[in-house]
Amino acid sequence: MGTATRALAIAAAAIVVLAASPALAESCTGITQGGGRFATCFDLGNRLSVTAGTLGFGGGFALRHIVRFDDAPDLAWKLEHVMLEASYAGFEDRFTGVLYRGRFLRHSRDGHLVLPFGNPPRKIFLPFDIGALAEVGSISWRPDSNVRLGLVKTAALLDFARSRGFRRRFALGPVARWDVDVPRDRLAIAQHIVAPFSALLANLRFETANGVTAGELRVEAGSVYRSGVGWQPEALAEATLERIVLAVNDRPISLVLGVRYDSAAAETTAGIGARIVLVGRRDPRVSLATLAAARSF
Amino acid sequence: MTESLRPAALCIALVAIGLATPGSSFGDPGGLLPAMDHERPVQCARDKDGKVWRIQCNEATKVCLYAANEELDSTGERGKSLERARSCDIQDEFDRAKLEATGYRMFPGRVDAPFGWMRDERGRVFQVNFDLRKRLYFGVAYTPQKILDNPLESTRTSVDFGLFSFQHLVEGETPTRHRLRILEGVVHVEPFSAEVTVAHYDVSRRFLDPLLRITTFVGRPQRHDLKLNLGLWSEVGGLEIHPTPVGHSTLWKHATAQITLDLWQSKNLDSFARFRTGMGLEGQYSDDIGYRSALTAASALEVDMVLDDEGFHNLRFELAHEMPRYFTPLQNHQNFAQRLRAKLQYEAIVLAINDQPLTLKLAAGGEKRDDIFGVPDQWAFVMDAGLRFSLWAPPRAR
Repeated sequence: MGTATRALAIAAAAIVVLAASPALAESCTGITQGGGRFATCFDLGNRLSVTAGTLGFGGGFALRHIVRFDDAPDLAWKLEHVMLEASYAGFEDRFTGVLYRGRFLRHSRDGHLVLPFGNPPRKIFLPFDIGALAEVGSISWRPDSNVRLGLVKTAALLDFARSRGFRRRFALGPVARWDVDVPRDRLAIAQHIVAPFSALLANLRFETANGVTAGELRVEAGSVYRSGVGWQPEALAEATLERIVLAVNDRPISLVLGVRYDSAAAETTAGIGARIVLVGRRDPRVSLATLAAARSF
Repeated sequence: MTESLRPAALCIALVAIGLATPGSSFGDPGGLLPAMDHERPVQCARDKDGKVWRIQCNEATKVCLYAANEELDSTGERGKSLERARSCDIQDEFDRAKLEATGYRMFPGRVDAPFGWMRDERGRVFQVNFDLRKRLYFGVAYTPQKILDNPLESTRTSVDFGLFSFQHLVEGETPTRHRLRILEGVVHVEPFSAEVTVAHYDVSRRFLDPLLRITTFVGRPQRHDLKLNLGLWSEVGGLEIHPTPVGHSTLWKHATAQITLDLWQSKNLDSFARFRTGMGLEGQYSDDIGYRSALTAASALEVDMVLDDEGFHNLRFELAHEMPRYFTPLQNHQNFAQRLRAKLQYEAIVLAINDQPLTLKLAAGGEKRDDIFGVPDQWAFVMDAGLRFSLWAPPRAR
């Protein structure tokens, strides 16, 4: 417990320090002495990637996009989707995967609360964006454990970072989830685990302006109901740090560090690995057009 | 400091634009300045200080409303640009004197807002009309449960969720409304039970031509049209988990398809009363018996209504009967079982956070079934009171 707390504290401190670093102002296109161009900024949210490391081999598909409105320039929906993300540790019997995870944040410059009583309705201003987390179909197991099926998980999010993009997030909110434990040797339900918004989620994320470094800290703590057992306290904390160290044909390869604490399993795991982007969206700030045009002559 | 624009600040603004301070009041009963009509043209004019004003004149009443082209802060100073405002061309030659000479009177007003939105006196816009048929929602409820033979049954909490609800109306001579819901359900604790549907789709249609024309020849010949507004209702991936004396009974409703007959439809089909009937394939698993499949005949009377134009009050009622026919007999050596269910739900918007509604849900229901071994074959009643938070919920179609 002490080791886990220390590791998470170090990770959190690293995220805070990096998040406070000034935004980079240089161009997103590097130029070699010979005139060749290469990307120095990367889009971390739109990619198909594989990751290999001490915690196993896996991959996932991520998409993110912003929906804006012509008639409401101060309003934007920030939508992030993760699909078919999985990781399997071949050297020990450990697997984690999720079918779909979405995070939907509604950013508005003037957050407000409307009380529809009286005429006119009353409007009170709020200093945060709101949104939701939705996760469907997660699966995990670890050595000598049941299979944990996460049927549905959802959270209301209050994002105090109020970022217009995806670079910063400081979201808090109550979490509801329904998990099922299934024995590995037969098709039956060993236990239902339900948190009816009885847990709190805190999620801190940063991403440098060029997308080279990103970090995320997620903490969930509260009470969960276990069928046949009753209410129990539970806590989960996870911190990850990703740093792009090189790029091949402008496809980034990053170093990934992670640490995770799970009170229900009474275990802390830490890992290091490399993430390779197989298919990714080129950052729109990167311009390789001049070189392409020159080659056409 | 108040949220609304102070009269003094307004007077300063009037002087700046060169308009006279209004000599008489002109407002709506709610105390707000009158709003411009979103359906009528608006023009913009620049004052001596270069500030832009929106002006809308009504030829019939000879009244012109004017308002700042930016949002105002609490002191009346102009700030950010207006949201959800129409674009307007700025006319540098706005001749107020000429207008007044022709009998027009100038009054301060509010800039118009699109349908479903309103604007306060500072020009800030917010949503006041919500379509709860289009949303992602999740909620928590308190469910005191009362079973007739055990009035002291434990109290429970529950969560409900709908990850994607969407409806689309295809207008025309035969309007058709498609309804889609993905991963909707409710989970109770103490004791645990759950009901989830992975995907739901149904479609309602209002037919132009009657299915039957009956002509009577008693007296003067008369024609009587019998319109049957038929539709389709389907669900896949239903799951029900209920506690039993020896564990849990899990009911998988693999697929259900039904024909619907709308007994009543609102004009845009978003409210209805209908009867539906059809068949489904299901399987039930319990620890003591194992898995058994069934073909299920199902029928229901359904009412789904939006009670007001703004979408604040919503009512749902369902009375359903299901009769599974198991391929292997039950404990009572019968192949048939009966399930009866009634549920009434009222949902009302109590406030909106960043234009996303928070609703109060009140529900009451009863259930009687004999398909779960060990559970008494008698009516059990339950009540719900809870809150739901919805994302998206755009304004309803006009």
